[in-house]
Parts: sequence; C-alpha cells; structure tokens
Amino acid sequence: MAKVQVLNVAVLDNPSPFGNPFQFEITFECMEDLPEDLEWKIIYVGSAESEEYDQILDSVLVGPVPAGRHMFVFQADAPNTGLIPESDAVGVTVVLITCTYRGQEFIRIGYYVNNEYTDPELRENPPIKPDYTQLQRNILASNPRVTRFHINWEGCAERMEDSENVDPTSNPMLPPSCLPGKAPPVGILPDNSMDCL
Amino acid sequence: MKLLKPSWVSHNGKPIFSVDIHPDGTKFATGGQGEDSGKVMIWNMAPVLREEDEKNENIPKMLCQMDNHLACVNCVRWSNNGLYLASGGDDKLVMVWKRAALIGPSTVFGSSSKLANVEQWRCVTILRNHTGDVMDVAWSPHDVWLASCSVDNTIVIWNARKFPEMVTCLRGHTGLVKGLTWDPVGKYIASQADDHSLKVWRTVDWQMDANITKPFSECGGTTHVLRLSWSPDGQYLVSAHAMNNSGPTAQIVERDGWKTNMDFVGHRKAVTVVKFNPKIFKKKQKNGSSPKPSCPYCCCAVGSKDRSLSVWLTSLKRPLVVIHDLFDKSIMDISWTLTGLGMLVCSMDGTVAYLDFSLDELGDPLSEEEKNTIHQNIYGKSLAITNTEVQLSTTIIENPEMLKYQQERQNSAQTNVGAAAAGPESAAPKVNSVMNGESLEDIRKNLLKKQVETRTADGRRRITPLCIAQLDTGDFSPALFNSAPILPSGSSLSNQLAPQLNSDSSPGQPASLGLRPSQDGVLTSPPANSGAKGPEDDRDGLKSSLLLTSASKIEPMKALDSRFTERSKATPGVPSAISSTAGLTPLERPKDGVSALKEVKTKEETSSDSEDKMAAINKNLSFAKRKPELLLDGGEVVEKRKKGRPRKDKMAATIAQPFTQVRSGKRVSFLSRHSYGAARPEQEVTRSLCSAGRLQITPPPPEREPSRAAAPPPPAAVLRLPTPSPQKAFSLQVSMEPSVFLEVENEMSMVAGSKLSQLRCSRDGRDWNTLLPSSVLVAAGSSDVLAVVCDDRMMSVFSCCGRRLLPAIQLASPISALHCSAHFVMALTAGAALSVWDVQRQKALVRNESLQPLLSGADTTVSQSMLTQQGVPVIGLSNGKSYCFSLSLETWTLVADKGDSLVQCADFRSCLPSQDAAASSGPLAVVQGRNLNAGRLASRLSSTPHHLQQSMTLAFLENQLASALTLQSSQEYRHWLLIYARFLVNEGSEYRLRELCKELLGPVHKSASSSWQPATLGLHKRELLREVLPVIGENLRFQRLFTEYQDQLELLRLK
Repeated sequence: MAKVQVLNVAVLDNPSPFGNPFQFEITFECMEDLPEDLEWKIIYVGSAESEEYDQILDSVLVGPVPAGRHMFVFQADAPNTGLIPESDAVGVTVVLITCTYRGQEFIRIGYYVNNEYTDPELRENPPIKPDYTQLQRNILASNPRVTRFHINWEGCAERMEDSENVDPTSNPMLPPSCLPGKAPPVGILPDNSMDCL
Repeated sequence: MKLLKPSWVSHNGKPIFSVDIHPDGTKFATGGQGEDSGKVMIWNMAPVLREEDEKNENIPKMLCQMDNHLACVNCVRWSNNGLYLASGGDDKLVMVWKRAALIGPSTVFGSSSKLANVEQWRCVTILRNHTGDVMDVAWSPHDVWLASCSVDNTIVIWNARKFPEMVTCLRGHTGLVKGLTWDPVGKYIASQADDHSLKVWRTVDWQMDANITKPFSECGGTTHVLRLSWSPDGQYLVSAHAMNNSGPTAQIVERDGWKTNMDFVGHRKAVTVVKFNPKIFKKKQKNGSSPKPSCPYCCCAVGSKDRSLSVWLTSLKRPLVVIHDLFDKSIMDISWTLTGLGMLVCSMDGTVAYLDFSLDELGDPLSEEEKNTIHQNIYGKSLAITNTEVQLSTTIIENPEMLKYQQERQNSAQTNVGAAAAGPESAAPKVNSVMNGESLEDIRKNLLKKQVETRTADGRRRITPLCIAQLDTGDFSPALFNSAPILPSGSSLSNQLAPQLNSDSSPGQPASLGLRPSQDGVLTSPPANSGAKGPEDDRDGLKSSLLLTSASKIEPMKALDSRFTERSKATPGVPSAISSTAGLTPLERPKDGVSALKEVKTKEETSSDSEDKMAAINKNLSFAKRKPELLLDGGEVVEKRKKGRPRKDKMAATIAQPFTQVRSGKRVSFLSRHSYGAARPEQEVTRSLCSAGRLQITPPPPEREPSRAAAPPPPAAVLRLPTPSPQKAFSLQVSMEPSVFLEVENEMSMVAGSKLSQLRCSRDGRDWNTLLPSSVLVAAGSSDVLAVVCDDRMMSVFSCCGRRLLPAIQLASPISALHCSAHFVMALTAGAALSVWDVQRQKALVRNESLQPLLSGADTTVSQSMLTQQGVPVIGLSNGKSYCFSLSLETWTLVADKGDSLVQCADFRSCLPSQDAAASSGPLAVVQGRNLNAGRLASRLSSTPHHLQQSMTLAFLENQLASALTLQSSQEYRHWLLIYARFLVNEGSEYRLRELCKELLGPVHKSASSSWQPATLGLHKRELLREVLPVIGENLRFQRLFTEYQDQLELLRLK
C-alpha cells in the first residue's frame, strides 16, 4: 500500500489574477520514515489538444519525511504565457499536482482551472490576442480529481525480485501489470499497474 | 426472527466479501471491492438495530472507510479484544488496523463520496509474506496469534503480540486455502482448501494433526471462499463445501477422532460459509414447566452459493430456519453478535442482511462462566493457552532487586494501560489544537513564510515539510479537519462555484452560476440537466457546468480528463531544473496520452519529434532573461550543437542524465565521462548546455557537487576525482543554528591589474567580508570555522568572525571537495588525497592520505564525502561502500556497505527501542543512507533456519557497534549497544552478554596492569552498564547475571 497518503490540498490565493503564483497547501501522512525525498510537481496544461503544451511550473523535493503527518505550501510561478496557444488562453484547462517517489508517480491530483476575463466588456468581446493581465484564474478547488498509482515503495532492490512477474512486452520502466482474474473492474480510471510487493 | 436489509450498507454496489461484527456490538466492518482498490468499511451498528437511529441524521452510519488495500479485500476480522481489525486481500497483504484516538471527521481526499470518516482507523502493521491473494484471516483465542491463509497454499501464523513477527508457516495444502478457524480452546487451527481436504493443525508444534479428505473428494473448486467454523464448545468442526451422495453439504467433524458421520444437508449449491454462534444455549425454561436439566446445544448458520441461508441448532434434526432469495448472488460471510442473537450476512451482490433472533427462538444463552465450566469439564485446566507470561510466572524470582525491578515494570505497564484507556476520552475533539503554543490555524497562515526551503546540490528546491503530528505518539491533531479551510480574501467566486457544481446531485436547487453561460450556451443548464438525466456523476456535472462558457470545447475536455488519470512519463528531475525557469515541456511525454499503447513508445518516435523539442529548448533559453551573459552562453551552445548534428534521441537522453543520476544518488563516474567526451565532442556540448541551464537558476553550493566540470577535463592519469567549476558568484548556508550564510563574488574588482574576489559572511545578521587574490572555487564552513579554496589551489581558513586562522595552505592538486565540521577542516583533492586539519590545535589529523586503495575498481568514484563533528573523515564510494579513516588505527575502515547481505538479512526490529529518534541522525545513519532497511528481507528468509538469521543479525549488530566506535559517534554507539544487548537478551546468548557486561564493568579493583578505559567516546562504560542491566532484567533467565552485575555496580558506587 502507499506509504504516503495525501490528506488534503488547500488551494490558496484563489481565484487570483493569471500572473499570480500558484499556491497549494498540501497535507500528507507518511506511514514510515522515507529514506528518500518526495518530488512534487505542478504541471499546467496549456492546451487540451496536446501534451506538448504542458508546462512543469516547478518541481520541489520534499524531505526529509519521517513517519507522521506533514504539511507544506508548494508555490510555483504562473505559467509562461508565451508557451500557451492563444486560442487556449481563455477557458477551461487543468492544473496537475503530481508526486513521485523514487521516480515513480504515485498520486496525481488534478483541478479544473477556468481562465476568464473579469471585465464583462472583455468577456463579451475577447481580444484576439489574449490579455493575460486581465485574466482571472479560478481553480475549482472543491473538486480535486485524484488518481493514485501503485508503485514500488521499496525501490530497486525489491523490483529485482519482481522481475519474474514482469510482462516482457510492457515498458520495463513501468511496474508489472495487475494479474487478471478477480481483478477490480476498471472504471473510468485507467488504473493502474500494480506492484507485486 | 426479524430480518432487515440495510440498503445503506454498500460498497457502491461492488461485492462485499466479508463482514464482521465488533465484539462490543457497536460497529461492524465490511470488506470488499472499492473503486480501484480494496475497501474496508466500518459501520455503526445502532442504525441497523434501531429504526429511530437509522432515521436520525445525526447518527452516523458509516464510521470509516479505508482504501489502503491495493486489491479486493476478502476478509475482515476483529480481534477478540476489539482493539484491532485485521484485513486480508488480493494484494497478498494482511493489514492490521487500530483506532486512532482522533475523533475528528475527515474524508478520503478526492474521493467522490463526501461522507466523512467519523472514526479514524489507522493501519498499524502490514504483514507481508503471502505470495498470493489472502483469503481468510483469523485471530486465535486471547489474540495470541493471527492466522492468514492464501491461494499460495500456505497458512501463516503471525505473532499478534509482536507484529510483524511470523511464528510459522503451515505448508501441506496443495490447493488454494480458503478458510481458517481456531479451536476455541486454542489447541488446534483448522483450514479448508481447494485441494479437497480439511486439515487440522496443532498449535503446540504446528504440525498437522488430521487430514480429512473423504467428504471433499467430489468437490469442485468453485467457491470463492470456504469459511469453516468451530463450535463454541470445541466439540465440532463444521466445514464449508463438502459433498455427500453428490449433494452439497456442510460436513460435521467431531473433535473426538475427527469422525465425519454427520452433515448439514439441504443446500442446493456449495456451502461457502459456516459460522457458529459464539454462545452455547440451553432450552428456554417455560413458565410453569418444571426446570429439568437439558443438554446445552450450539447454533450454527450456513450460507451457500444457492443464495440461501440456513440456521441450525445442534439439538434439532432440521434447520431452525431457512431463508431463500435473501440475495441475488452467493453468500460470502456471516457474523454473529457476541450476544448470540443478531447476525449479519453479506453477499457477492454487494448487500448485507441483518437477522435478529429472540431468546424464544434460540434458547437461553449460557453465561461466560458456564461456558468456561463446560470447557474445563471437557478439556481440563491444562489446556489453557500457554504464553510466555504464564511460563514465566512459574519461575522463582531469586533476589529482592529482581523482584523490585519486575514489580516496577508491572506497575509502569499498568499505568501505561491506564493512560491508554483514558486516551480516547481525553482526546475529544478540540477545534483549536495548539502546537508549541501556536494554533494550527496560525501555522497554516504563515506556513509559506516559515517552511524551510533549501537548494540541493543540483540546484533544485527542497522543502522540509512541517510535521504537524507524529505517528508514534498516536493522536493526530484534529484541528485541521474540523476547521474550515482558510479561504483567502476574494474567494467569493470559488464559493459560488462550489454549490453550483454540486447542484447536479441535488435536483431542484437553483444554480447560482459563477460561470455565466456565454452566448453560445448550447448545453443545458444544470437544473434541467439533473431533471432530465437523473442523478448524474459528480464529475459529469462538473464538466457540463464548466463547459457553459465554451461549449465548443467538449472534445478538448475529454482530452483534459485523461490528464487526470494518466501517469506522467516525465522522469523526475529530468527537465525540471531547466523548465523551472524556462518552462520546457518534458522531453519524453507521449503526444497523445489517451491510448495506453502509446505509452510504450518506440525510439523512432521519440527521435522524430525530439528535433522540435530541441528547438523548444533553444527558444526557451532565450526566455530566461535573468543573466544576460549566460543567455549568450546558451545561444552559443545551441548553435554549436546544430553544427554538430548529433543523434537527437541521444541528445535528449544525455541532457536528462546528469540530473537523474545525481538525484538518485548514483553519481556518474566522471573519469569515464571525460574520456568519452573527448572522443565525441557533442557530448561535451550537451554537458555544458545543461550546466548553463542550471546556472541560470541558482548557483548551488559548489563544494557539494563535485560531479560537474564544465572546464575541459584535466589529464585523467593524475586526477581521479572531479573538480568544481569556477563560478562568478555563489552563496551557501553554512549552518542553521546560528544562521550563517556565505557569499562569494569572484573577480569583484580589479586592483592594479589583479582581480580580487570577495568572501562575505553573514552570521546572525552580522556581516564581515574579506578579499582574496584569486577566484574562490569552493567554500565550506561550520559554526566555528570557514574554509575556502581558490583556483590557485590555496586554502584559507577563517574563524567565524572572519579572522584568518592559518596561513594559506598550498594543496597538492586541485580541490575536489571541502568540508568543515566543528573546528575541523577536510580537503579532498582531485588527486584523490585526503587531509584533515584540527584548526583549534593547528595540527594535521590526516595527512594527504591517498584514496587509491579504495578506488580500485575502474568505475568506482567518490559519491559522497563527509566530516563528522569529531573530525573523522568519511568517504562514500559509488559502489555503495563507505569508508572512514580511523585516526587511531591510521587506516581506512569500512563503516557501511549498502550491498552487504548482513544488512539485508539482519532482523532486530523486535529489539528496537520504542522511541529513540536520536540515532537516526548520526554520521553512521548518514553514511548508511538512513534507509537502513535492515530486516527488510528478513521476513523473506523465513525458510532459512532461525540460527542462521540469528547469527546474521548478531554479526550485523556487532558491525554497527564497531562502525559507530570508529566514527566516534557516541549517541549511535549507545543506540546500537542497547539494541545489541536487547538482542542478546532476547536470543538468550548469555556468553556474549556476560562478556559485554564484563567489558563495561571493567576491573572492580584497581590494578596497574589494567588497560581498561573507564569511558568510551565520552560515555562512561559503567553508566552504559546501568542502562543495559534493566534490559537484561527483562528476561528472568538472566536474573543471576543481572544480580551479579547489579551488586558489583552497587559496590563500586559505594566505594
């Protein structure tokens, strides 16, 4: 099971002007002392069409993490407007917070973000070239979408023991997939490769 | 009999595989399938029992849900004392849960259900040993053991007093083991498996006592579970699925000779579960009728795949009641209340049913006393559970000291119990809990300012999280989840938005739209939406209302949705250092994330679009405007690269490399890299590209990153270690307490044709600075001294106030790493020679000691270097070995080896002191990487003989002791000494224990010839002995040893 459980993410400074930094106050709980740091990332999806426009706003290491409940504020600069396609500046997009341990992503928290002009005039007749100074960013804090991935928390040593279970056709970087049988019916979440711990 | 199907007990329609009522009857647990994991839920019993409670909205129905199991939960069982819940699932794990005293509600973050957890149940142990799905778990009487069985054909007995210790693994079944039951007297455990057998095992020696196969020979392995049950009087064992004349039965096995003469017949399909009522009954005395003694009888419920349930009394030939069509699918589990009158049944169809019986129907339950009398009459006293305490109580305590000590122990244990019992009440929810005099609310408001943020060697941000609750101290502060989230001012829109988004689930509620429908409002508005389509998924509601602004975005939204769930392909740290300023897209992300197949990308694809990505790098570099001169650098680099036209995929990979490798602690061997770079010029370019990218962010403290040289590689024959590159300016934090910052600005000014460099130091707000004639390469400092090395290989040492302490020291070769600690300075040169000076005494401790003997292998290089507070240099190599130079032995000694099999196999967890965090921060812990996962493999070695593991642990602990001694880390020495002593005590090795005590005590009478030192590492040995003795006293076997040394210590004290 996951050694780290995210208990809460509070979206601070929301809504805010587009250029303000993102601020997430993250509370998580750790079952046992983690020998390595957690790596958190904020990814801004610049355009729904393609991941090409995803921007990693920042990534931080968080550690040391002893067993217990912890919190921190993850602040990252606003996205680089130069990398956002103009047609996607206004409207709904997504910001993602991911956390990886030993290079494996185990949780992905997504929020819808609505970028909108506050001025009614601009809203009716949006300029062709987006005016980022007038845009307001509103993160839908009430509806986080959380996807948890099963990873190997013990790191490489244990993975070797699992090697016999690895499906040779799959990407060797990904943990072996869940064995069929009484496997959970997969819903909308394309979950989840599971480790054989 | 009353029958109720509480519809609110559900796993959202997913199968419920197990149900168990808490011994106190106030709650029950269910286990089964969750959304994408296994799920354990704890429910309130009151709304099941009483209709008014069910209607009362203030009475919670669901108390807690835990989705920690990775896959379907097959079994949940409360311990007999009600403190623990054990669950086993398809993820091969058994988890043991305990209630945290916190009474604040919380939700599972991000779960669609908004129900709060009223109680907090926390996983306290994960038991890993099974290699297949765990099908059933069972607590032994008195909770001495926990048994689990699995489709790996084994049954594991766990020591329930000392999790995660394994007592034994019962092998013998040749098929999936699907059910377990303990003999209520504790003498046997029985298991039923798909191999057409029911086996009975003795708890005395864990050997098989009986193998019953005949009634099962016709059985097919078609049931999910085979939950068998033992009668409360211990006389009968009733199996699940058995066959008699091709009809499904539940076989009755008599304890006496394991005879199989009777069975429960009548079910049309296989019996999945049998559960005896915990009570023994006797006939209800009717008013008026003469009380005539009647034989006590038991009551048993049988559930089957035919979806029906039958309840039997052993005094009747026919079932008391049979209930058909209670469920749509097979019955999976049955649980009786401890009173014997209520029963919960769960089914694969995801529902549960509650049956309520009256005394008239079942009879008069015998009291516990009467039940015990029956047990004693049948089995005698000698069959009482044996445990260590019982055994020990027969040992005579021989001296008053020992008696006193034992009594103290008991008293303190009792007060602990008392404190624990008082715990839940005292931990009633206080909304404003206070930590260090500061409320959590205050902490949250200032968290961003207060949290400690540093830069790692590779320039990345590192945040030390604020610990708001410790796990071991148990009780979490409830404030966080009772309190409303802090909403920054101006959050009105998000407040508006929230109700609007949820409005779908509550039809009729007017939608106060925060997002105004735009002119092309093609989509229906939320109220109409909910009216037409009925209750809709939260998420869809969210989507549709969001889309009001731009209906044209429906397609893109689908694409957005996939982002939520798709695992990022970007490896950690790869692009981040660059992108944090320039905002690069990760290099290796698949373009179309929807199809899982595409995740496995072929190399050709990567290379084909990597050209664009490289162009993006080019573009992005020009975005960084912070350092114009570096921008120029970057531009040049890219230009050069274009001329060179290296293979693109190679490029992408190499850019990624330096970051990942440093991150994972596996430093690259720069010796080989340099030579490689010489052979292929474009490699060189990429490296300087990334170093340029890094420099734009922050100049990291250079002395901690010996691994990146932008300068052309020096001749490899002489220099084995990497050297830091010169930088224009850098700063580093030398110490936190007092807070000392160091800033270096090279080539600050030109005076008379020579360039001067400035070293500025700020200590607790007071500054000093000094000038150096050549540019500073590395700097290091402690709270006592500061040292810098310039590119002319001159090392200068200053006091904390900026006074030069030593004349400039000429190093033999360029510096590779520099460390200061206390009043010691350590320099590691590129020529792989190490020196340590004691600045206070102006003396060399280690003089140009060569690392050549350590760096024997071709690839080994120094990955880590360190200087302890005692001036002991420690070198970590890339092959996982760490050496320290012993000042007294004047030689290199091995202090840690990550690949050491002893480390992997030693199991001393049972000897760890309950709370001792001090030792986790010493130098030994640092060199061993803090991930001293000792004992991690221990459980896997269950097949290895105990004595082998014992010896390995012993050897490991002795290594630790010796290493701590060499490192002169007194706290760690003490820590390991106590663990060592405890281990010796647990394992009963008196010989070594005696030697240890003798060494610690020393000669009682002074003699000139004795070379015994009264102290080691500043710790008085006799004080240590005083700490060790109570540990020895815990085992009564060593009471003579305890007494002997206690007396001598006492004697010495009086002298």
